[in-house]
Amino acid sequence: MKRLCAIVVAIVSVIAMCAGTKTEADTVVTIRPVAKAFTVDYGGASVLDTYLSPIKYSGYNVRLGYERLQAMSFAPEKWVMQLELGVDYANTKNPAKDLTFHTLMIDAKWGMMRRWYLMPELQIYGGGSTQLRGGAIYAPANSNNVVSVKAHWSADLTGMVVYNCKLGLLPITFRYQATLPLVGVMYSLDYGESYFELYEGNHSGLAHLSWVGNRFALNQLLSADMHFGNTIVRLGYRGVCETSWINNLNTKIFRHSLVVGLCGEWISVYSGSKMSEKTRIISSIY
Amino acid sequence: MKKYCYIIYMCILALAFGSCREQEEFANDPYGNFDALWTNVDQHYCFFKYKNVDWEEIGQRYRAMLRPEMSASALFDVCSDMLKELRDGHTNLISGWNVSRYWIWEQYPKNYDERIINEYYLNFDYRQASSIKYAILSNNFGYMYYGDFTGGIGEGNLDNVLAYLASSEGLIIDVRDNGGGYLLNVEKLVRRFITETIHSGAISHKTGPGHDDFSEPYDYYFEPIEDTRIKYLKPIVVLANRSSFSATNNFVSIMKTLPNVRIVGDTTGGGSGLPFSYDLPNGWVVRMSASEITDANGEVTEFGVDPSPGCKVDMTEDEIAVGRDAILERAFEILEEMINQD
Repeated sequence: MKRLCAIVVAIVSVIAMCAGTKTEADTVVTIRPVAKAFTVDYGGASVLDTYLSPIKYSGYNVRLGYERLQAMSFAPEKWVMQLELGVDYANTKNPAKDLTFHTLMIDAKWGMMRRWYLMPELQIYGGGSTQLRGGAIYAPANSNNVVSVKAHWSADLTGMVVYNCKLGLLPITFRYQATLPLVGVMYSLDYGESYFELYEGNHSGLAHLSWVGNRFALNQLLSADMHFGNTIVRLGYRGVCETSWINNLNTKIFRHSLVVGLCGEWISVYSGSKMSEKTRIISSIY
Repeated sequence: MKKYCYIIYMCILALAFGSCREQEEFANDPYGNFDALWTNVDQHYCFFKYKNVDWEEIGQRYRAMLRPEMSASALFDVCSDMLKELRDGHTNLISGWNVSRYWIWEQYPKNYDERIINEYYLNFDYRQASSIKYAILSNNFGYMYYGDFTGGIGEGNLDNVLAYLASSEGLIIDVRDNGGGYLLNVEKLVRRFITETIHSGAISHKTGPGHDDFSEPYDYYFEPIEDTRIKYLKPIVVLANRSSFSATNNFVSIMKTLPNVRIVGDTTGGGSGLPFSYDLPNGWVVRMSASEITDANGEVTEFGVDPSPGCKVDMTEDEIAVGRDAILERAFEILEEMINQD
C-alpha cells in the first residue's frame, strides 16, 4: 500500500511539475490599459419645466466630465466597461431676459458593452448601463414653486462605434456613442404640490416608474480623439435631450455642447513584473 | 432580423413622442400675454369654487378690452383689473414698474397704531429679540409683537423671550399688521404654546389643470417643543386685525384651537392659499394661490379667521386720539377673566 501511494504521489508531482513548467513558459499576460478622459463641455441649453414656468428658458451650459473605459478582465477582447461622472450647470433666461433659471445636475453612469471587430480599425459596441442623475432647477423669482428637484435612476441601452485611422501622420479615433434610458425610477412632485406639504410629512406619490413612454432621454457624443504621442486631445459634440411628462408636468431640457478634453491610457505595472513578448495589451477603444 | 430592428426602433420612436408633449406657446403681444395670464390662472388657481366667479366669462370680458397697439401700461391695468375679480390678496401681477394687488385691509379700520403701543403701553421701554419686540407691562401681563413671519426667529431667541416673560400672569401676542411670511415660523412659534401634538390643519394641492383637480387633503400636525426648551402655558390672547394675512392668518387659525387662547380684535385678512408664481412671455410674473390650506376643522380660512366669541373690537378715532388701544384694553379684560376662571 505504501508503495502504491508513493507511486501515485510521484506521478502527481511529475504532472504538476510539467504543468507548472508549461504555464511559466506559455502564459500570455494580458494588460488592460485604462482609458481616462477629463472633459469640459460648453454650449447652448434650453429648459422647460412647467412646475416653475410654462415658458422655455434659453442660455448656456457648462459641464465637467470624467470618463473611464477599460476592457473587462473575464473577456477583455469582447467586453468593455465604462464609468462616467459629471456635473453640469445651465444658466438660462426667459425670452424677455429678465428672469433666470439656474440648473445644477450631477450624474454617475456605469455600463458594460460587448465589442465586435468589423475590421481591425472599426469596432462597434453594444450593451447596457445604469445611471443616477439628480439636481435642481432654481427659479429665484418664484414664490413657493421656487425650485424643481430632479432625480432619477435608470437602466439604459448604450451603443458605440469606434473608428481608428490616421489623418496624415496623426492617429485619430473617431467615436459616436448614444445612450437611451429604458426604464427606471424618477422623483417628481405633483402638479401643484408645495415643499411645505413635503416638510409636513406628505411623501406619498413622489417616486414614479419611468420608461421611454413618460421619460425620454437621449445622450449622444460624437468625438475625435487626436493622439499627440502619449497625450490625446478630444474634440467633439455632445447632444443631450431629457423630456418627461408626469403628473401633468412637462419637462424638456436640451443641451448642445462643444466637448474639449484631455485623454490618455494608463497601464498598471506592479513592481517586479516584466513586459515580455507574450504580453498582450487590449485597449478599450484605441 | 432587420424587420425586428425596424419594429423596435419604431416602437421606441412612438413611445418617445408620448413623453415629449408640446407646450402651448403664447405670442409676446397684448393678446398673447393676456392669454398666457388667463391660462396660468385657469390651470393653477385653487379657490375658484369659493370665489363664485365665472373665469371663462371674465376672460372674455377683459379680452374684449385689448387693442393690438395698446401700451404695456394699459395692458397691465386690464390684466390687474381681471385679477382683482378673484378678490385674493395672494394674487398679484408683477412688472418692472408696478405690482397689482387686492388687499382687503384697505377697506376696513386699521385697528393698529404702533406709536400708541410704544408710547402709552411700553413707554418706549421694551426688549427686542430678532423680529420679536417684548416686555412685561405694568399690569404684569407679557406683551410680544411679531410683525413679520419672514423675520427669522431662532429657538434660542424664543427661549430668551419666554424665559423673560415667564413671570407674567398672562401673555398677549400681537400679530396685527403682520402680512405673513414663512409657515415654518408659524410652526416654530406654536410649538411653544402646546403640550401635546395638535391637528393644525390640512393641505390640498392641485393635481392637474382642471378647476376640480385636487389631491385628498393631507392632515398635518404640530408637536410640542422638546422639554429642554421653554414653553408658555398660561392664558394667552392673540391680537389680530384685517392686515393679519397669509401665514399670520394660519397662525391665528391654529392658536384659536388651543383651550388657553382667545383671539381679540378684528377678523384676519385671510390668504389661506400657498402662492405659486408663473411668468408671461413679456417677463411679467403672476403670483396666485395655488395650494389650499384648511384649518383643523376642515374650514377654508381664505376669507379670514373671526375673533373668539365676544372678542370683536374695533379701535375708534376718539380712543386713538387719547392714546388708547381698545383692542389691547379688551385683551387685558379677557386675560383677567381667564385667570379668574382658572
